[in-house]
Amino acid sequence: MITESLALGKRALTKWTRNPFAVIATSLQALFWLALFGNSFNPANAFAPSGGGSLGPLQQAFSGAPNYITYLTPGVIGIVALVGMSFMGVDLVFDRVNGYIDMLRAFPIPRTSIYFGGVVQNVAKGMVAAPIAFLLAIIVPNGLRFASGFGALNLLGIFATVALLTAVFSMFFTGMAILVKSTDSFFAAINFLTFPIMFTSTAFFPLSFFPGWLKPAAQANPISLASDAMRLLLVNGGLSSAQVSAFILDWAGLLTYGVVFALMGITMAKSALKAR
Amino acid sequence: MNNIIEVEGLTKTFPPSARVVDGVSFKVGEGEIFSLLGPNGAGKTTTIRMLTTLSSISEGWMTVAGHDVTKDPGAVRALIGVVPQEVTVDNELKGVENMLLAAKLHHVPNAAARKRAAELMKLVELDQSANNRVATYSGGMKRRLQLVTALIHEPRILFLDEPTVGLDIQTRTKVWDYITELNRDRGLSIFMTTHYLEEADRLSDMVAIMDHGSIKVSGSPSDLKESLHGDVLTLTLEDGDKDLTEFLRSFPNVTEVSRSSSAYRLKLPRVETALPEIVTKIASKNLKITETSFSKPTLDQVFLEVTGRSMRDAQDANGHPNGDSHAVAHRSETR
Repeated sequence: MITESLALGKRALTKWTRNPFAVIATSLQALFWLALFGNSFNPANAFAPSGGGSLGPLQQAFSGAPNYITYLTPGVIGIVALVGMSFMGVDLVFDRVNGYIDMLRAFPIPRTSIYFGGVVQNVAKGMVAAPIAFLLAIIVPNGLRFASGFGALNLLGIFATVALLTAVFSMFFTGMAILVKSTDSFFAAINFLTFPIMFTSTAFFPLSFFPGWLKPAAQANPISLASDAMRLLLVNGGLSSAQVSAFILDWAGLLTYGVVFALMGITMAKSALKAR
Repeated sequence: MNNIIEVEGLTKTFPPSARVVDGVSFKVGEGEIFSLLGPNGAGKTTTIRMLTTLSSISEGWMTVAGHDVTKDPGAVRALIGVVPQEVTVDNELKGVENMLLAAKLHHVPNAAARKRAAELMKLVELDQSANNRVATYSGGMKRRLQLVTALIHEPRILFLDEPTVGLDIQTRTKVWDYITELNRDRGLSIFMTTHYLEEADRLSDMVAIMDHGSIKVSGSPSDLKESLHGDVLTLTLEDGDKDLTEFLRSFPNVTEVSRSSSAYRLKLPRVETALPEIVTKIASKNLKITETSFSKPTLDQVFLEVTGRSMRDAQDANGHPNGDSHAVAHRSETR
């Protein structure tokens, strides 16, 4: 299954390198979130107008971030992963509509390799988008500020978290893409899902800002888990043992999502691709 | 000859009760070209989809290359090449990349895959375009690429679903040549569906005529045509008052004579050998022939005989455009 998944993933990546617009456009979304939203809706402007982007007394609530964009950056990376993975699933829908999936079904390959081929290529594309978003966060006005002691391990941890989150969303949306029969249904479903996922996460605001009834959902949201884990690495140079435990807990949550979505995706792929 | 395909009582029902394939049975010998001929909506594509493991069956059984399609679909997939009706080569990849991807999915080692890809692309005259993106190919080039992509793993049988649909006559003729060559030179068994009469007639060792989900008749194209008992000669005489039916029936080998005013329709085995004698005898009676025409039996006439309507009427009844098949049918009639 691995050989076939990688071969199908490579097909999509080859296509992408010849037409990288979709991934670049998705990555540039980060620019708008960071430069426009990050500066305009900066809570420091509301509560400390002379703060010049510093969170001041709100700093503690915002995970100790030195400014809002430092807080926002992991959330925006999560949003880019969400939006990117949801829209990239459409390639698979087109393959289905155009008869390509049917052609693949006549090959002696496991049905799940069609699903994992989609996951592989989407994760690879997502991993191109994340560093672009990260670089943009550094260069926008009032941009990302690194904590003292921030090093290569922190960076590695951040990108490993992005990879895991991207895989989680990719497994979910690829499963959905393999199940739906038309592009209209797919777009309707992703429009329905992406906004609630985005706004019930701690991408923009800390958990303490959410009303009590929404807190469990916000806490369990994959973007919250990933952005909280990334913030720990971004805002703190070295992690205390309590922070390491929080990081592990966030990862455990993401891994659980990964396993659940992978099982769902495999089931959907087997069901959608079986002979009827 | 061993049978590479055996099908018995194959039935496909779509809920609630549409039987699109209804108790179909046939055998395909190894090394044969077998055509399933019928109008759009006859059940041909559903049959080929069941044979290629893409659709489940409702009743019956079938084996491909000795493997039960329902019980062992994986083994069947490894031994077949499938060219679907839609063009499914990837436009964004280069021609050769499409072939190598197919090779990878069939677990063909890289070196062998490259060698075979080069050889097959040369066979269909795409070697000069192998490294171009498929988006730059014409429709005919895409079809040819699709054909050889299905051969990269050296299958024992090739399934072609309407292989030349939508192609112009020159490209269609080229595809026919490649199919013939693959069958003749490599001994490849080929199962194809078509609604082009000339295609089935020209390529096939065996034809099964399918209509409304069932096979009406099957056999070699020549046997099927011979079953109609001969050619049709139409003579129009100047003097329409005199009835010459009995006189014309007296000629050797004439099996049937019918009259419509001054025109007579004669059925006989080989019109070209009998025609001089007929003309001479009519002249000896001081009668003048004003018009002569004859036609060889066609598969359309076979279709007419077994279904009660011609292929072109069947196409119209199904509401599908049939300009191409009209043209082919017409050419076939006048051969």
